[in-house]
Amino acid sequence: MARIDTAIVETDIDPGAELGALAGQHENDGGIASFTGQVRAEPGLLALELEHYPGVTGKVLETIARTAARRWPLSQAVIRHRVGRMDIGTPIVFVAASAPHRREALDAVGYMIDMLKTEAPFWKRAHTETGSNWIEAVADDRKAADFWMGQIASEDA
Amino acid sequence: MPITIRYVAALRDRMGRAEDVLDLPCGIADSEALVAHLRATLPEADMLAHPSVRLIRNNDIVPRPAPIEDGDVVAFCPPFTGG
Repeated sequence: MARIDTAIVETDIDPGAELGALAGQHENDGGIASFTGQVRAEPGLLALELEHYPGVTGKVLETIARTAARRWPLSQAVIRHRVGRMDIGTPIVFVAASAPHRREALDAVGYMIDMLKTEAPFWKRAHTETGSNWIEAVADDRKAADFWMGQIASEDA
Repeated sequence: MPITIRYVAALRDRMGRAEDVLDLPCGIADSEALVAHLRATLPEADMLAHPSVRLIRNNDIVPRPAPIEDGDVVAFCPPFTGG
């Protein structure tokens, strides 16, 4: 049974500490993979603000991690997602997985971050020098999630 | 039939409020009938009909059309942009 650990956090994520917590935990683990998303500098951008839908987001993050742990032989699946206001360079999201082999851990992390972007109810607002605006969804994010859903559907068939 | 309708993120800004508590007429059985009713009574509600708008019903993300029942909390959400 994989260790599933997901959380929505209002304080800074420490990717190094989060990744370190996965290391050396399971003797069958041959690989630990992770992804950290952070606020990218854009012209005029001062900060990003992340809003979510309490009562739903936590359930979705756990479902994504549990689905990954069913699809790949993971020993650990971890998701951290920030909400609130973040300056440039601040980590927004941390996703990690450990597994016997690197491909399993890497694919599980790819699945979790791609699904999270389109299936978890978060919304980004950009605060800029001239005001604030909601960031629109990216079509490529939808394609990435559809890829994984197609993969899983074909394997379940 | 009283229900609570929430408008989330960009939809909240565009509607100008976070929620409406409405007493709906009988016969509104699903989300699309609800949207049609809202569009008929609130001109700013046209955007809720857009296929990209996601629905959360009583703390579950549900596909459209979704059944609507007495006492529901129904949230209209723009596409998700986390990560």
